[in-house]
Amino acid sequence: MLTFLFTTLAPGNYFDEMRLNPQIAPETVAALRAQYQLDRPLPVRYLYWLNSVVHGEMGFSFAYNSAVAPILLARARNTLLLTIVATLLAWGIALPLGVWSAERRGRLPDRVLSLGTAALLVIPELGLVLGLLMFAVRSGWFPAGGMASVEFESLTFIHKVRDLALHMTLPVVALVLSALPLLIRHVRAAVADVLDAPFLLAAQGHGVPKRTLLYRYALPAAANPLISLFGFSIGGLLSGSLLIEVVMSWPGLGPLLLEAILSRDLYVVVGGVLFSTLFLAGGNFLADMLLYWADPRIRRESSLR
Amino acid sequence: MRISRAKFQSFWMLLSLLLLFVVFLGHPAIASSQQRDTKEELLALPGELGRSGGRLVVALRGEPKTLNPLIAADSRSREVIAVMQADLVHINRATQLTEPALAKSWKISPDGLQYTLVLRQGIKFSDGQPLGADDVIFTFQVYLDENVHAPQRDLLIVGGKPITVRKVDGQTVVFQLAKTYGVGERLFDGLAILPKHLLEKPYQEGKLAQIGTLETAAKQWAGLGPFRMKEYVAGQRLILERNPYYWKADTQGNRLPYLDELVFLFVPNADAQVLKFESGESDVISQLGAENFSVLSRQQKGYVMTDAGPGLEYNFLFFNLNAPGEKASSEMRRKQEWFREVKFRQAVSNAVDREAIVRLAYQGRGTAIWGLVAPGNRRWGNEKLAHPARSLDRARALLREAGFSWSNGPDGESTLQDAQGKPVEFSILTSSSNADRAKMAALIQDDLKQLGMRVQVVPLEFRSLLDRVTQSKEYDACVMGIASFDADPNSDINVWLSSGGTHLWNPSQAYPATPWEAEIDRLIEEQMSARTFEQRKKLYDRAQEILSEKQPMIFLASPDILAGAKNSVGNFHPAVLEPYVLWNVEQLYRKSATENGTR
Amino acid sequence: MKNWHAFTRWLIALGVLHGIVLCAGFFAPYGPSEQDRKSPYLPPMRVHFVDGQGHFHLRPFVYSFRLRDGSFDQYEEDAAKPDPLRFFVSGWRYRLFGLLPSGLHLFGAETTRVYLLGSDGYGRDQFSRLLFGGQVSLLAGFLGTGFALVAGLSIGAVAGYYGGWRDDVLMRVAELFLALPWLYLLFALRAFLPLAVGPLQAFFLIIAVIGAVGWARPARLVRAVVLSAKERDFVRAARGFGATDIYLLRRHVLPETSSVLLTQAAILIPQYVMAEMTLSFLGLGVPEPVPSWGNLLSNLQQYSVLVSYWWMYLPALAIVPFFLGYLGLASSLQERGEAYKIERRGLGRLT
Repeated sequence: MLTFLFTTLAPGNYFDEMRLNPQIAPETVAALRAQYQLDRPLPVRYLYWLNSVVHGEMGFSFAYNSAVAPILLARARNTLLLTIVATLLAWGIALPLGVWSAERRGRLPDRVLSLGTAALLVIPELGLVLGLLMFAVRSGWFPAGGMASVEFESLTFIHKVRDLALHMTLPVVALVLSALPLLIRHVRAAVADVLDAPFLLAAQGHGVPKRTLLYRYALPAAANPLISLFGFSIGGLLSGSLLIEVVMSWPGLGPLLLEAILSRDLYVVVGGVLFSTLFLAGGNFLADMLLYWADPRIRRESSLR
Repeated sequence: MRISRAKFQSFWMLLSLLLLFVVFLGHPAIASSQQRDTKEELLALPGELGRSGGRLVVALRGEPKTLNPLIAADSRSREVIAVMQADLVHINRATQLTEPALAKSWKISPDGLQYTLVLRQGIKFSDGQPLGADDVIFTFQVYLDENVHAPQRDLLIVGGKPITVRKVDGQTVVFQLAKTYGVGERLFDGLAILPKHLLEKPYQEGKLAQIGTLETAAKQWAGLGPFRMKEYVAGQRLILERNPYYWKADTQGNRLPYLDELVFLFVPNADAQVLKFESGESDVISQLGAENFSVLSRQQKGYVMTDAGPGLEYNFLFFNLNAPGEKASSEMRRKQEWFREVKFRQAVSNAVDREAIVRLAYQGRGTAIWGLVAPGNRRWGNEKLAHPARSLDRARALLREAGFSWSNGPDGESTLQDAQGKPVEFSILTSSSNADRAKMAALIQDDLKQLGMRVQVVPLEFRSLLDRVTQSKEYDACVMGIASFDADPNSDINVWLSSGGTHLWNPSQAYPATPWEAEIDRLIEEQMSARTFEQRKKLYDRAQEILSEKQPMIFLASPDILAGAKNSVGNFHPAVLEPYVLWNVEQLYRKSATENGTR
Repeated sequence: MKNWHAFTRWLIALGVLHGIVLCAGFFAPYGPSEQDRKSPYLPPMRVHFVDGQGHFHLRPFVYSFRLRDGSFDQYEEDAAKPDPLRFFVSGWRYRLFGLLPSGLHLFGAETTRVYLLGSDGYGRDQFSRLLFGGQVSLLAGFLGTGFALVAGLSIGAVAGYYGGWRDDVLMRVAELFLALPWLYLLFALRAFLPLAVGPLQAFFLIIAVIGAVGWARPARLVRAVVLSAKERDFVRAARGFGATDIYLLRRHVLPETSSVLLTQAAILIPQYVMAEMTLSFLGLGVPEPVPSWGNLLSNLQQYSVLVSYWWMYLPALAIVPFFLGYLGLASSLQERGEAYKIERRGLGRLT
């Protein structure tokens, strides 16, 4: 149990490339994870302002003339909003598409999707964001940046939501598009692997309908690598959000970090990185919890120790 | 003859009534209300008549820090304060000459040391309390109090001693100067008169710096400007409403301002300002860069863009001429040796392509300058100053005279070397948020490459830049710009004087570092106390000559003042002095029938 | 084998692309910092074969641009003067491969400057800057990857081979690096380094920073391979014969890592080129006037440029063929690796 606690608390990124390396069996990955009894390592370079962290201040920003934490919190909330929406949307699209494509693997739809994701994959994120911004400016359909309009405070609640949604559309689209191709590919790979398993064939033989087969049997079996991919994708989305926020003037951690670097406001920089790490760790923690709940093998294994 | 009893009684009744009436009249409340009703002296402004009502939305680049003139240091706070306060004598931004404001008339004594000002009568603050000489006395007492650290204090030190003011009667005050002051009554422009009835207590408690914040100003502050505070939403906007007691009226007697509300929106940067204006969310825009101006001019749907002509901003390149500290590296010392050589600076000035700067950084909407006095300043420029055309040959000749030489590299490029054979390399700092100056720096970099110098452009955030230049003095060269707030030479005094804080190449000197800086100090101080325009101009011309010869600042270009407003905004006449668009805010009005200011 | 053909095909394609960028001096008509202050923000010139009178010319030509009266950046073609393109012209001098001085350029026009992709605010030819910028960005990607792989290889080998506390410590540190979102880490590292550096120093700084952030993943992969390879029979046999650790590492263990390293390279290079682009775009990378694909795009952050000068966006797409090539390379390598399936056998045994 203790081991398990440690593994879940750790930024458990073992799944990332090990998973993505199709040569390594899933059991080994799980076992390796269990083997590494990790506590959360406290980086040495954060130690020097640990005291101020304890006091909830996280250092002092010379540019904003105030403690770092409140500035970070406000911005972090915005970044979180963007990242969570983008994650949900990206996975909401990638899962069905990946499953659908795995089911028809080798055939035309699969190839088309493959081509599509390849096309998206080769467009650099910078090009994507700038392109979307140009589109916004030229078409005028979307606000070109920012998070809220002038009269935000005076709008009714419904209009506020609508205003926020409008402003959020392009950054979210950019984030989703940049993450989608890899996600789809990995979902497809994971599901395709599982689809060959004997138990599925057995279920099919029993006459279980196709859709149920896919979603109630295959997907949970593929859940293990997928959930780890989930944790990994959060990291990717966070990194991606930095650039997107800066270009689209979304008031999140990204522009704050950039401004802090340009003004040598180093406490803010360190604080910003820490916050983003916290998000990542949080996301992975969530992933680990999901995994624990989803995969009985891990539960059993950890209780054996 | 016997008077009838009835008549006798009625006579006494009349008399007693009369007595009662007189007593009643003498009652202070009645007396003053009569004063209130009859004796308010409004200032009638000439100009186009407008419609009352409507709202004007202005996008502000950033948020003001405070509404307290005593601690406001940033330009945004000052911009907002300007529409909420009034001064004794005001400089008309269009004519650049002084006009009566709160003081309806003034007299300067023959020896030039006494200024007698007569206040307008019956004026009230925005909270309804009357203005009197006591407020003026209190105001200047606060400004001059050393413990308050008001930025205005420096403006009120003439001849080394602070100005004193005394009350003559309820409406008259006399200012006493220690020395004659060439600036004259212009010195009162921008000095807001503070309400004694609200501020006296905080002042005595030493809490002046804490009041007048954006959140509390509505209750704690009263001003004499056309607008007063209504509402503040942090991070979003500031709403001001008409001051019902404003003391100006139009020629028909209608009390100004015309507008009901003035809204300041906070936007993060210049591009956001442009977006707001283009989409119709804001009604006026000023301090535009030339590129954004072109973009907006191309479309012009529902609004008109105006180029108000050359302004007072001057941009320049300067080198680090500070005395090296003990910790200065040998590399820094070596570089400073180059910078200190006059011919080096003159060579750089000859190599800079000013015409390209005007064309590429300002899209032609600007003027090349060779001196500090920008073309927007019509009276004070020295016409006889040389404006040499760009000449790389002359630059090279100057460098050769100064002992520099060129070495030829393997690829045919030549590198400039100093007398010891070290290649000439340095970096130019520029503000990362100002695209125009970044362009200038890049153009200069290329120009200097033709001379064989290897120059790097380093963009820094503005505050760090300022810190490097004025505090830590760790830099090689820098491109910066200053916008004078008045045409009078006095507004740039801190740039001229070697002790000044904006004497950027070597700020805040204890005593002048070079003989020519000492000479400039002398000339500037003399012109400060000279009485006539001709005397001052002569001295100022000579100072400009010295600056042009020694080139501690290499002047580059001055942009035009660009602004725009919706077609429905009336009386829109941008000026070349700050505040460019809101200087006549009390006369701005909305032409259309709709109340709402947005499209 | 089919996989081999796919692999070599991608390799050739990439080689051609890189070759063009490598010989940027030849393919580009002008130098990257040559300003032409009379022609800022010129739109891309069209190459014509048929002129205004309807005559067909064998040799393609361009029209010079004339500034429309009263405007700053509105141009129109001066249809009166067709300017034929010449090939293999001599122009400004450069060094091919950084060594051979040459003056030969693929094309150029007689009197006017040819702006295939338009010009920027200083009148510099965007096409030339694109090619030279590619040199900088791609080289940054290569060197960054090299650095990361070398670091990853050494650390992973030590961790995998020696095991024990070394393994634990190193892997823990690697985890830390992997835990942080890499772009944030990149920025943070950049923040702690001086801002005002010359182009060359900035370049190496970027490489160092990228390598310092990116070693973790290759390290872990290498470690996995080394772990498995270490226990292979022939290695044990060699050790039984008294071979030293270094010999074992060099001759038996490390060659096993080659496929992993190659795959990683194919994945990482485009990623690191993107990293350099991002850094330069935001002003933290290579400074003016040295072009890089990132800082060619940086003035798109200004609203006026975004709205008026669409051709400034094109450098963003320059990297697309390269990404495509690397993607193909990586997937063909992975398919090839699958055929060998080394790791699967080895990882069955855990210590």
